[in-house]
Amino acid sequence: MLMGKWYGYYRPDGQVGSRNYLLVLSATIYANSVVERVANTIEGAVPITHHLGRCQTMSDLKMTFKTLCNLAKNPNVGAVLIVDHFKEAYCNIDEMTEEIAKSGKPVESVNIREVGGAIEATAVATRKAMNLRRMLSTMKREEADVSQFLFGLNCGTSDTTSGISSNQALGFCSDRFIREGGRSILAEFPELMGAEEWLTAKAKNSEVAKKIMDEIGAFEARIFATGEDIRGSQPTGDNIAGGISTIEEKSLGGAKKSGSAPIIDVVKHADIITNKEPGVYLMATPGHGAESITGIAASGAQVLVFSTGGGHTISNPLMPTIKITGNFNSWRQMNDTVDLDVSGILAGEISLEEAGDMIYNEVVETLSGKLTKCEILKETTGFAIHRVGLSI
Amino acid sequence: MATKISWVVDEVKDNVATILSNDVKKGMTIPVTVLGEDLQIEVSSDIPYGHKVAIKPIKVGDIVYKYGLSIGRATADIAVGEHTHIQNIEPLRGRGDLAAKEKGCAC
Repeated sequence: MLMGKWYGYYRPDGQVGSRNYLLVLSATIYANSVVERVANTIEGAVPITHHLGRCQTMSDLKMTFKTLCNLAKNPNVGAVLIVDHFKEAYCNIDEMTEEIAKSGKPVESVNIREVGGAIEATAVATRKAMNLRRMLSTMKREEADVSQFLFGLNCGTSDTTSGISSNQALGFCSDRFIREGGRSILAEFPELMGAEEWLTAKAKNSEVAKKIMDEIGAFEARIFATGEDIRGSQPTGDNIAGGISTIEEKSLGGAKKSGSAPIIDVVKHADIITNKEPGVYLMATPGHGAESITGIAASGAQVLVFSTGGGHTISNPLMPTIKITGNFNSWRQMNDTVDLDVSGILAGEISLEEAGDMIYNEVVETLSGKLTKCEILKETTGFAIHRVGLSI
Repeated sequence: MATKISWVVDEVKDNVATILSNDVKKGMTIPVTVLGEDLQIEVSSDIPYGHKVAIKPIKVGDIVYKYGLSIGRATADIAVGEHTHIQNIEPLRGRGDLAAKEKGCAC
């Protein structure tokens, strides 16, 4: 493996994917069963189903639309088949097709009512999916550069080993990708409360520092508005069992994933990151792991490393999710779904830099096609759409 | 490097250390390295892997430091060797309950 080189699938918009998926996408909840039937039939198809797309406040409906369309634009997706059941605002085949097709990738659609119901829709959609899948199968991986890589950073089921070992090693890994021309995304904004001093010191300029403060403050204001004590939700029960006592302790440990590279900008949840300047980008996602990594996948990230002191099963269906742990107990207990052991850091066997290089190598191999354990097990627990309001 | 039983992140400022052993039990004396010096700290209860122990006396209302920064406030006096966790530290951020109290809201 050449240092700084990887092999991926080139898309019409110039992005490069680490996978070549056919995405079968529900526009709304009532297309879910057709989508599942089609994806079960077609080799290499990935279904995305959800319970949203209608009866949402407009801000939420737009969030659902943006999240689904930007996921479909992720370069790991080669082609898209959208299914809807009748006609909604935004989350319908016409508007979603128009938006996703801006990426230049093939997009097909089926409306259940138009083609005569669920059985007909399954047949029509399956045939379309087969043809798209066959076309995708002719594509080959080609050499790509680290500058074409957008690296997702996340953590979950954190314990106190996360902040002092695996997250810091991930920071070294992120720094190395950025030195070679790449970009990283740090998210989970409520889990940055208390780490502002550490983060703003790395901001590219005072405008970016202000954005960091404003976006973290916006999440805290939403928590204040509930009138509720954050304890028990943040840190979570598993964090507390793992020794993390307060949100500030969790935040200071979590922020370490972003290493020492400069923070270039702050973006909204599920926005595509179009700026190519190497460095760290912050995305204002919630701390909820599945929502957070879905927002990161929507940004265009091709691989994510998920640092987990306690061990985890999370894996985004469209963005390979490598899990690492710095806790030797968790490596033993959660070995089925954790890919890389960096517990040697706290055992005094390896340095943080060496662990960072181990993660780097795993990421480059995964970018080029190595499967994560969760991909092989078809674990797809890492998908959820962030909500800002109520159902109406 | 040998396996450490405890880990202090910011050796100048921190008043807690993280336990890195499954076997730290009440009454044991454990070594904690701070600025090249090995402190011998007697722990006053069993402390699970990954949990924190106070390495300096902490008074009620004092800030608890880890990573050299605040991780919250002590809700009781904490003696050296005491398990330092949710029973004696509280967060100061994201406290909707405190915000509601300040507003005098009845929720």
